[in-house]
Amino acid sequence: METFAISEPVLLVLLSLAERPRHGYAILKDVESMSDGRVLLSTGTLYGALQRLFDHGWIERVEEDNTARDRRTYRLTSRGRRNLQMEIERMRRLTKVAALRMARKEA
Amino acid sequence: MLTVYCWLLCLYPGSYRHEFGEEMTSVFCEARSELPLVMAAKIKFYRREFCGLLLGALCAHFDLLFGHSIPFRRFDMQPQFRFPRSTVFLMLVIFAGVMLTIAKASSIAGDTVGSVWPSLISVLAFMLVTMCTAAAVVWRILHTLRRSGVRRLENVQSWMYSVESNGKR
Repeated sequence: METFAISEPVLLVLLSLAERPRHGYAILKDVESMSDGRVLLSTGTLYGALQRLFDHGWIERVEEDNTARDRRTYRLTSRGRRNLQMEIERMRRLTKVAALRMARKEA
Repeated sequence: MLTVYCWLLCLYPGSYRHEFGEEMTSVFCEARSELPLVMAAKIKFYRREFCGLLLGALCAHFDLLFGHSIPFRRFDMQPQFRFPRSTVFLMLVIFAGVMLTIAKASSIAGDTVGSVWPSLISVLAFMLVTMCTAAAVVWRILHTLRRSGVRRLENVQSWMYSVESNGKR
């Protein structure tokens, strides 16, 4: 896996794009709903994350003729999807260890 | 507020503004149009947006200069990069001292001794304002990192590795 710091906002942006391609505002709203209103991204944070993901080739723009320049749509690339899956797998292992630890403590 | 937003957007590097500027403004306008009428919600929204822009501009410039993002996680994660708050305070005092020395030296060089020497109170006030501003910025960055949960995740991750290594033994 590439060495790329996946912070919580970045992870939520990736998860939002994993479902289907979205434009900036749709990502903002989706992240808010996914986190039950806990994570509210500013446009600065969102586009900082998008730029980093874009530079690393994890996301790409959907090329459409009729899309306005101020409303462009982004989607995950195959590399982005692969890395997201690895990150989710890492978190799954982590949760498993955590659950084991907690169970051991309770016993 | 849109004017302030556009003004803050100018803090970003030109290439970044060209790439994302219009989109960011459009998303900001869209989000603003759906704001509730409650004043507290509006204040929170504008505070979040403007702080996000300032931090984003800082990160974008850092990225452009050094070719990678600001290593917040690394500083936060590795124990050798953690230093006590007193160090921050001392660094600010030293910084203020250096600034004061430069100011005095420049006024002496300008041969204006006795006429435009800054008063002690104004110098102290300047130092205080500088320290408070810098402390607020540092506090905000640390608060943002704490809220993101990155540190908690990293702690768990390092703990997991230790569990695995113990298991191998």
